[in-house]
Amino acid sequence: VTSAAARQPLRPLHVLVGVAWLVLVLTGSGLLWRYKATPGTPGSPPATWPSESRIAPSPDLPTLVMFAHPMCPCTRASLDELEVLVSGAQASVRAYVLFVKPDDVGDDYDVTNYWARVEQIPGVVPRIDEGGREADRFGSVTSGHVLLYSPGGRLLYSGGITGARGHAGDNQGRRALIALLRHGAPRSERQPVFGCSLEDPQPPGEEAVR
Amino acid sequence: MTPEEMESASSAKVAARARVLFDEHLVNVHRRADSVFGALMLVQWVAAILVALVLSPYAWEGKVKTVNLHVWVALLLGGLISSLPILLVWTRPGWFANRWVIAVAQMLWSALLIHLLGGRIETHFHVFGSLAFLAFYRDWRILVPATIVVAADHFLRGVFWPESVYGVVSPQWWRFLEHAFWVAFEDVVLVFACIQGVHELRAIAQRQAEVEALSERDQLVSSELRAALEELKATQEARTRAEKLAAVGQLAASVGHELRNPLAAVRNAATYVSRRLTDPKLAGKPASEDPKVPQFLGVIDRELGACARIISDLLDFARERKPSLQPCPLGPLVDEALGVVPPRPNVRLVDEVPDDLPVPNLDKDQFRQVLINLVQNASEAMPEGRAGRVTVRAEGGATAPWRILVIDDGPGIPADAVARIFEPLYTTKVKGTGLGLAIVANIVGAHNGRVQVQSEPGQGATFVIELPPEHLARSEPSSVLPGPAVAVAG
Repeated sequence: VTSAAARQPLRPLHVLVGVAWLVLVLTGSGLLWRYKATPGTPGSPPATWPSESRIAPSPDLPTLVMFAHPMCPCTRASLDELEVLVSGAQASVRAYVLFVKPDDVGDDYDVTNYWARVEQIPGVVPRIDEGGREADRFGSVTSGHVLLYSPGGRLLYSGGITGARGHAGDNQGRRALIALLRHGAPRSERQPVFGCSLEDPQPPGEEAVR
Repeated sequence: MTPEEMESASSAKVAARARVLFDEHLVNVHRRADSVFGALMLVQWVAAILVALVLSPYAWEGKVKTVNLHVWVALLLGGLISSLPILLVWTRPGWFANRWVIAVAQMLWSALLIHLLGGRIETHFHVFGSLAFLAFYRDWRILVPATIVVAADHFLRGVFWPESVYGVVSPQWWRFLEHAFWVAFEDVVLVFACIQGVHELRAIAQRQAEVEALSERDQLVSSELRAALEELKATQEARTRAEKLAAVGQLAASVGHELRNPLAAVRNAATYVSRRLTDPKLAGKPASEDPKVPQFLGVIDRELGACARIISDLLDFARERKPSLQPCPLGPLVDEALGVVPPRPNVRLVDEVPDDLPVPNLDKDQFRQVLINLVQNASEAMPEGRAGRVTVRAEGGATAPWRILVIDDGPGIPADAVARIFEPLYTTKVKGTGLGLAIVANIVGAHNGRVQVQSEPGQGATFVIELPPEHLARSEPSSVLPGPAVAVAG
């Protein structure tokens, strides 16, 4: 390549190709952004601890329940945030992570995928939610959905603890929960949940039950 | 053209060459950086696909899995980002537009990798690393679009999704200044690095141009020197030819002169004898009864002998034969030479060569000639009627050089003759060819030795032959005694 070749001027076609390339890249980035920032179905958790639940709430500590999809990649970020939350709250809390295991799952569905990760978090107990019955009782349909109940069984918080799908880092949900655990709150707080659906996809034309 | 004008023209030529070299170096820098980024684009693309496949291969809905959007993003969006830079680097390496596109693409990769790796704060170092990589181009201008892409990405995310930029949901109002400061700080450092890099390239080009100019000048001087040497060589050859012709002429004149007298005597004698034999008046008288006939026949014989000796000396001098070295005891050789030299009344020839002297390697015939010439020369130097003595001595051997001395107690050699005594055809004798000592010098020189004469008027003369030590005598030039083959001393 000579100096002259290196200095060949731009032609209209070059500009057109460059602009088209940039537009396509920005469009793709926008789609990715939209996907990551679109929350899942918020669910309809009961205002009080469901009596039919097999999980016993703490009578004297707030109880936190996180429903998680054991195969969803977003669960990793939610567990990271849970660890930050539990250690950052500086208040005692009883915490459960319930890995939902639908009926009739295939061999590639490993319900213990994140089990060891949960066990590393002090004070957090992993459980398997067979058939998603507890998720039904708590009205949770999106992985990463966190519910916080007061010692008296009142719902204090419902929502996610990540700012986007699978995106770790500070977020409104984590901040709200830390504030609740530290100082209590007069009314319940709701935040969007970012994660995989805990339920199978609906056939076309059918509305979601919840 | 004056020297100042020549200097000015040379400087302008060097400056023009430096500009060309600078352009070439800069294009090479851009080409290398293009290659690096071409490879980096490919590596980032592959890495993004692997990250997506390992960390988030599937999205799940209940027990139904589908390929995660991350995989498609890494494959398609990553491929799209890398495609244009790779295409440009491949088809137009070094083109100026490449680095602008690459600057934008590289910062887009930073944004994409931050997304794919789940917003880990460590991934933000990719931004700073990419800016530093872009400085490889040594073009600070491309840092501008790169910084704009970073700023736009951070601005948009800061507005809609601040925690992905600053790590917190509600950053203080001045946090954007802190981030901007660090990016600007790196930009400033890199701008200086780019400018410095270009200055260095320019200096290298200037030095290279100067070295090339010097080399060109050296080659010119060298070719002129070669031409001058060839001319000198031709002149020397012409001079040698002329000297040879002159020497031939001188030799012919000398030989003619030397042969003229004896031939004239022969002619006179022959004329007398011829007349005596053909004179009708003396037809009845036998020539043998004429006492002059035997006398003239003797003259003819003697003078023809002189002619033969002149011719023989001339042939010895002209014939350059390489010495055939063999062990040759010096004592018997000296005795043989002394026996050949015509005796003179009152002149004693003495052999004082020690019997236990080691045996040197010599060409026997040539060295006998050397000894005969030196001894005969010394003997003939004795004035008529005066007693004299010529002594031959020898010493050395093993590791010491050989020294053979021919010493006489004659009248000595005049100072002006000492300097020329070994020159061909130079003689101080009435009847001499002037070749005897020249033959001596030739033979001694062929033996890698040297001969010198020491003489004071009235104090006799000493001829000294020095030869290399015995074990070196067979060797080639390294064994040559230092100095010329002939030396004289007053």
